[in-house]
Amino acid sequence: MRKLKRYASLYWLFLLQRFKVLMEYRVNFLIGASSTIFIQAASLMTVWVVMGQVPSLNGWTIDEIFMIYGLLTLAKSINHMFADNLWTLGHEYIRPGGFDRFLVRPINPLFHLLADRFCHDGIGNFLVGLVLVMRGFENLSIPWSLGNIAYLVLAVLAGGSIFIALNLITCVTSFWIMNSVPVTLAVFQTHEFTKYPLNIYGKMIGVAMTWLIPYGLASYYPASYLLGRDVGYMAWAMVPVAAVLLAAGYRFWLFGLKHYGGTGS
Amino acid sequence: MPIIEVDDLSKVFRLNQKEPGLRGAFKALFKPNYTDKVAVDHLSFSVDPGEIVGYIGVNGAGKSTTIKMLTGILAPSGGAVRVLGRDPHSQRVANARDIGVVFGQRTQLWWDLALIESLNLIAKIYEVEPARYKQLLDQFSETLELDELLKVPVRQMSLGQKMRAELAATLIHEPKVVYLDEPTIGLDVMVKERIREFIKQQNREKQTTVILTTHDLGDIEELCQRVIIIDAGKVIYDGPISTIKDRFGKYRTITFETGSASTAGLALPDGTELVANEPRKLVVRFDRTRTTASQVAGALMEQADVVDFSLAEPDLESIIKQIYSGALREEVAV
Repeated sequence: MRKLKRYASLYWLFLLQRFKVLMEYRVNFLIGASSTIFIQAASLMTVWVVMGQVPSLNGWTIDEIFMIYGLLTLAKSINHMFADNLWTLGHEYIRPGGFDRFLVRPINPLFHLLADRFCHDGIGNFLVGLVLVMRGFENLSIPWSLGNIAYLVLAVLAGGSIFIALNLITCVTSFWIMNSVPVTLAVFQTHEFTKYPLNIYGKMIGVAMTWLIPYGLASYYPASYLLGRDVGYMAWAMVPVAAVLLAAGYRFWLFGLKHYGGTGS
Repeated sequence: MPIIEVDDLSKVFRLNQKEPGLRGAFKALFKPNYTDKVAVDHLSFSVDPGEIVGYIGVNGAGKSTTIKMLTGILAPSGGAVRVLGRDPHSQRVANARDIGVVFGQRTQLWWDLALIESLNLIAKIYEVEPARYKQLLDQFSETLELDELLKVPVRQMSLGQKMRAELAATLIHEPKVVYLDEPTIGLDVMVKERIREFIKQQNREKQTTVILTTHDLGDIEELCQRVIIIDAGKVIYDGPISTIKDRFGKYRTITFETGSASTAGLALPDGTELVANEPRKLVVRFDRTRTTASQVAGALMEQADVVDFSLAEPDLESIIKQIYSGALREEVAV
């Protein structure tokens, strides 16, 4: 408990430190935080144009698709804000040698890596996702019940954890290979599929995005649940899957760390 | 009871030997040809609390690899390390609380922020008590002259200012053992002096143990009572500086300035050797165990028209040069 308190207060201090740095470069901060909103707007525009031509996609209306999209964006923004620094593990820490600094400080090195850089660009994503989901609740008359709100929070946190865990697993390869970004990118980019209902794809993609690279658990299934479409237990699968992936990711991280102890940078 | 114990420590890196060129790179990818590189080779030594030890050797001798094992960054391939009774690698976090590390060229400070912001957060990371922190900050500000630097972003600091700031950040949690990797590299004389003073003061007041790697002999002469010299991963000398000086100061040189150019057919005393014979200048090296400076000077003055002469004290630099070039290894072998 004391440890948790210490880490929570340290995270807060690192966050403040990060914002002080960002305020040194105010224009950069504003551009970064808002740039994702423009990127999302362009992407949403595409959906809107396509859906203007077809009234429904395999039984899903544009409002419902925006709901899936919004849930995915919220989950992704959690990863973007709090775990974006994983991407830079290889090229900003291990290769230049800065990773050694983490190892001579009395805190968990993974915590240190994550806390080192809160990514403000994710704030834009978060806001876009939030607006889309709120709009979905209104337009699709989903009741703002306590149960639904709690489910929403759970889905976003678990979904965010799935994003973080998958990025962790692919980024840990930096301990062995020079550049892990292509590996991470290859896995990460598949989330694009899960901006749309999984039942519009062939069986393979649906299964892959549910069980192999389970980004679908963060978008399609929770959206279905909130919209009253019966997906059974799959509505809750994101929680255990996130827990298992996080545990596996952390184990893999420790394994990578052990390898680092053998070779150094 | 030693604070650092290094016992038969080794570190072997496995390298994928590549042939040159693109073809070689491909070959290494599919048919790796591993070779073992021994960076640290059965090293043993121990350090007592409060010692300042110079850990020296040429580039690639295994200094940084040793430091990385002492700090817990790397795991040994063989042998054992104990720092304050702990294994620094497997008990890394506990070890980290008691040590401080300066990595020569790499900063631990937040580049874009005022120094005080970095110090504040680092003090929190190490859980320094607020009252103690304030006290130390005052103390460090005075000895390292940080007052005006506290509000300056690190990116705007000069090299010397950065190193002073770095030292404050490294010692703010009052570590029992400090590893300093090239703390004075590229600094001017005044800053070097201040930094050495600070290290000495910390050592004197808190019994801080210091392991110092440096190529600057001034650092060693001013700070260290003891040096460990390593070469190719092995300890080739471990002892006080004075012993090295005696042992390798066996030879001394005298430079004579002569009035006439002719110096042919000089008869030199035993144990003496003419190392340079230029117009108006003679350099003679003699073995201190076999003859004396006055005998050499006397003999030369009888035979040549000596205008002036000077006797060179053996400095550590030339001794270290001798050692690096293999003199010590030969001696050890005998």
